[in-house]
Amino acid sequence: MSINTRTRNTLAGRHPELTAPQLKPFGAKKARSREALAGILFVLPTLIIFGLFKFLPIFGAGAMSLTEYSLNGDFEFLGADNYVRLAEDPNFWQSLRVTFLYVAIFVPFIIAVSLAGAVLLDKLVRFTGTFRALLFIPYLSSFVMAGIIWTWIFSTDGPLNAALGGLGMGPVPFTSGPQLLVLLSLAVVSVWKGFGYSMLIFLAGLKAQPAEVHEAARIDGAGAWKSFWYVTLPLLKPVVFFVLVIETIVGFQVFDTIYVMTGGGPARASHSLIYFLFDEGFKFFDFGYASAIGVVLFVIVLILSLIQQRFFEGKDSK
Amino acid sequence: MTATLSTPAGGRHPAGRPVQGPAGHSPRRNTEKRRQRTLTWVLAVISLFTVAPLIAVAVLALSPADAPTLPYALPSSLTLDNIVRIFNVGEFPLWLWNSFLYSAVSVVVVLLTASMAAYALARKRFPGRNALLWAIIATMMVPVQATLIPTFILISKMGGVNTLWGLILPTLANAQAIFLIRQFVRDMPEELFDAARIDGAGEWRTFWQIVLPLIRPVLATLAIFVFLWHWNDLLWPLVVGQSDAARTLTVGLATLNTETASTSNVMAATLVSFIPCLVIFALLQKHIVASITHSGVKG
Repeated sequence: MSINTRTRNTLAGRHPELTAPQLKPFGAKKARSREALAGILFVLPTLIIFGLFKFLPIFGAGAMSLTEYSLNGDFEFLGADNYVRLAEDPNFWQSLRVTFLYVAIFVPFIIAVSLAGAVLLDKLVRFTGTFRALLFIPYLSSFVMAGIIWTWIFSTDGPLNAALGGLGMGPVPFTSGPQLLVLLSLAVVSVWKGFGYSMLIFLAGLKAQPAEVHEAARIDGAGAWKSFWYVTLPLLKPVVFFVLVIETIVGFQVFDTIYVMTGGGPARASHSLIYFLFDEGFKFFDFGYASAIGVVLFVIVLILSLIQQRFFEGKDSK
Repeated sequence: MTATLSTPAGGRHPAGRPVQGPAGHSPRRNTEKRRQRTLTWVLAVISLFTVAPLIAVAVLALSPADAPTLPYALPSSLTLDNIVRIFNVGEFPLWLWNSFLYSAVSVVVVLLTASMAAYALARKRFPGRNALLWAIIATMMVPVQATLIPTFILISKMGGVNTLWGLILPTLANAQAIFLIRQFVRDMPEELFDAARIDGAGEWRTFWQIVLPLIRPVLATLAIFVFLWHWNDLLWPLVVGQSDAARTLTVGLATLNTETASTSNVMAATLVSFIPCLVIFALLQKHIVASITHSGVKG
């Protein structure tokens, strides 16, 4: 966090020694402690809320993951037992496999769609605002709503299977068939609901590119495709990376659509990590074990966040 | 708009207009016209994919019961019967009210507490300030699902399960809001606060009459996103609102969908749940787009 330019250029910013003491030659110490008191009072509500509902649960998650914790508050210290149990639990590995598979489908999918949308919008001259709105609208819906709509679209008597039936093809079990098909169907729903956000980020990145570079490419005889591949995309790399990390984190947290559409099935084919956590916590009330799953999720997201931060810091220092 | 448009940059830099022939119907201009037409058609088809499911919800929700409707036919007439029915039968109005309180109360409290904290963290020197700021920012790296269990245990010990306050309280800790507002307050000129001090304004008056009016734009943006986030939230309400007393719309919808409720009822409820989001978008579209664009550039 750098000192911002506006304060730096004020008198106070250039000569910090001139301001406070000059304005208050007497009682500066008193003013200082008054300021501290005001600061603490202003921050107090946040301190209480964060202390109770962020800091405490974060430590609680770590602590609970080392215990067997029951609903009435009794607990027994187990050490690393929950983690050993995780490592030996085929359901955990299944949920991890499901989640990674889902991320592998969802992330390239949503990046391709949002990038394509942004490139098309960027080149469009008229009705840009209208189309931007039409493409963005699904982002306002909830994953629950998206799940309900697409359950209907994918169902045996839904429009998709009606169309396939018209072509003489049997009903496709989009949400109850083979694992890859189910995960793909779930990814379609999340992409439909979520791509508007990344599209706008890409669009901003494209608008920030200097027109001269593209003009130079055109004069050199590059066509639209070549110009995109060799000029636009390399210039967009930091934005692509940013979106990649954000959407990967979103992908690892997939839950709502699974809850609404498949219930983790068929036969655990879509039993994601969060679904596993939810099941262990609120179906079997195995709170210690579920906390350990939460810690695993935290570690995965932390690694992703650190990669992102390292990348952005590296870019800033150049 | 002239031949500039054939640059991939799409004519948004009128000053950087490239070398071009005399104005007129050059072949390049015609190709560009054709390209724009193709582009419009492609985007129209994509828009169909994004919007058609929403239109289908509306059609299904407004279709008369037992009449042929999507996907095999279009209903011959539309009716509000389904919507009237869900308001009269079952707990739907209560869910709607709970969702509204969950979202509205959270918006107000988050914006107020976050602005106060942001002001103190940006402008006041007090012991532990940097540690607190660091700790708040660090919580952004912890996904909410990772602390779901301990938060639930805490709320259950406080007796907050199946209550609205138990639903709302833990979601009031919003690090993004503090972080965003703090950047705004930090960028305000120091002279403003000097002037307030000289005029004898107290701490609270300075905050209320100087800081708050100046951060209105960022508050508006945050209000939209905090509202949408709460309105659309599922996991926490699902865990803490197990009875109708604290059940939100998303949880109710998810239950309706798994139960044997008729498609027309589920779709009517879904349509009603989407209307507030649509209204917000229609009114504040520019704001939403600008803020996402901004956050994207800033990272």
